[in-house]
Amino acid sequence: MKYETIIGLEVHIELATDSKIFCSCGTTFGAGQNNNVCPACCGMPGMLPIMNKKVVELGMMAGMLTNCHINRYTTFDKKSYYYPDLPSSYQTTQWFAPICVDGGVEIETSKGKKVIGIKQIHMEEDAGKLVHDEWTDTTLVDFNRTSVPLIEIVSRPDLNSVEEVVAYLDKLKTLLRFAKVSDCKMEEGSMRCDVNLSIRPEGSTELGVRTEMKNMNSITAISKAIEYEVARHIDALERGTETLIQETRRWDDVKNKSFGMRSKEMAADYRYFPDPNLVPIIIDDEWFESVKERLPELPHLKKARYMDELGLSENDASIITSSRALCDVFEGATKVNGLPKDTANWILGECMSTLRQKKLSADDLDIDPAKLGIIVKMVADGKIVRNAGKKVLAAVFGEDVDPVEYCKANGLDAQSNAGEIEEAVKKVLDANADTVTKYKNGETKVRNALFGQVMKELKGKGDPASIQAILSKLLD
Amino acid sequence: MTKETMSSLKQLNRLALTETEEAEVLDFLATLEKGEEKMAQTDTEGLKILVHLSEVSNLFNVLREDKAQKVYTREELQEHAPEAYDGYWQVPRLVD
Repeated sequence: MKYETIIGLEVHIELATDSKIFCSCGTTFGAGQNNNVCPACCGMPGMLPIMNKKVVELGMMAGMLTNCHINRYTTFDKKSYYYPDLPSSYQTTQWFAPICVDGGVEIETSKGKKVIGIKQIHMEEDAGKLVHDEWTDTTLVDFNRTSVPLIEIVSRPDLNSVEEVVAYLDKLKTLLRFAKVSDCKMEEGSMRCDVNLSIRPEGSTELGVRTEMKNMNSITAISKAIEYEVARHIDALERGTETLIQETRRWDDVKNKSFGMRSKEMAADYRYFPDPNLVPIIIDDEWFESVKERLPELPHLKKARYMDELGLSENDASIITSSRALCDVFEGATKVNGLPKDTANWILGECMSTLRQKKLSADDLDIDPAKLGIIVKMVADGKIVRNAGKKVLAAVFGEDVDPVEYCKANGLDAQSNAGEIEEAVKKVLDANADTVTKYKNGETKVRNALFGQVMKELKGKGDPASIQAILSKLLD
Repeated sequence: MTKETMSSLKQLNRLALTETEEAEVLDFLATLEKGEEKMAQTDTEGLKILVHLSEVSNLFNVLREDKAQKVYTREELQEHAPEAYDGYWQVPRLVD
């Protein structure tokens, strides 16, 4: 029998704020255990939460980016939860009136385009970290992450394959990074995902037994876990290997298996109730519009504009718009030099290869856009040769160096360089009179040898095109 | 208030109660339940549901700017911790 897989995702995103959601503790990753804590996030009695305004704004942005309706009246609730990673014994979250509802994003897979529905997005606090200590056989608690602001994006069960799940997560990541809502670093836990999955015979309208895998934080693990769960469900239905029950399961990345959890959630009875310490938030038109204005132009619109108005190829436009950093550098540089195509070539060629050498990602591109713009223009205007441009770029990369001054100081401008090249060519031709004669008698192959000598003379600093041009001038 | 509800509440709140204590709590909860029954008899026809008191006091949008500051040190906070170890709070081993 053929089966259809039904998947819904709950994606937790750590928001890009400096302070926690309900107190002023910092949110820096890796600060050393319990260095970002205060009586409020430690759950000490009598402490009151005060809402971080930026969290509301980033929540609104996330909703706008995913075509959600933004609730203009939004409130917080307490979710009873008894576990030492949340010392107040409840998680403050949104249950009755979440900030965003009813949205969706379009994804593209090998099967075409499809919209994945978003049921809601709510704001909440993260829990702390528990570490098991072998030596003392106790559990150690770190509250640094407690109360770090999160949004949870709850999809509808519209996903049917690993490919769709990956495309959906990628889409969320691109959108949220673009708008600087979150850095979405799965490896640092700022993007985590709960996978709800069931299968049913193709064509059936009834939903099968659903299992949930919590806290998945890599695309590879998510893909493997989905494949494993689908196979397990099919085995259970077809061969009766086990009876499926609705449960929370843990994915073990080493054993490549999922395990049923003797879980705190099993007997879940969250007893949600409105948090009396946090007053409702009302988003008026003025606030709504001011947040909307701060949204960046979205990647697909940028891509279309780069192609239609700036004449980039689809491939170049796609790569640049996959990262906010690349777009910022591209637009800033183009503003200075008015040369979109040349600028794109430099970004996709030299900048990307420098990033690769430094083992950095596109988002880490650290170059002053105006300086790149100047370098590209100097090369385009023939003021410096391309090789010299590469040197200036390397000097400017991540450093406070002025490209024009650098060229002057290092004798890279084409005028002085051209003189140097011509001198070198003359020297080589004089020393190789025999070869020159051969060349003039039609043995054109020997030109390569002369070219090589010039390169050697210039210790590799010469621009190949300029050398060839001067060789032609003096030989032909 | 049945024994089953009591047992579920005990489990949810991780409470270990002696039989005497349990009887006392049951008595107390029964009193609460009676009060609730009485409240349920009140005529609320046509009244808007009030979730938040701020709807009466007209208090909304109590927000702070996103600025991080460190007010307490770890040592101060852990001064009263029953057990702390290497900068962590220490609790009995959890099996999960």
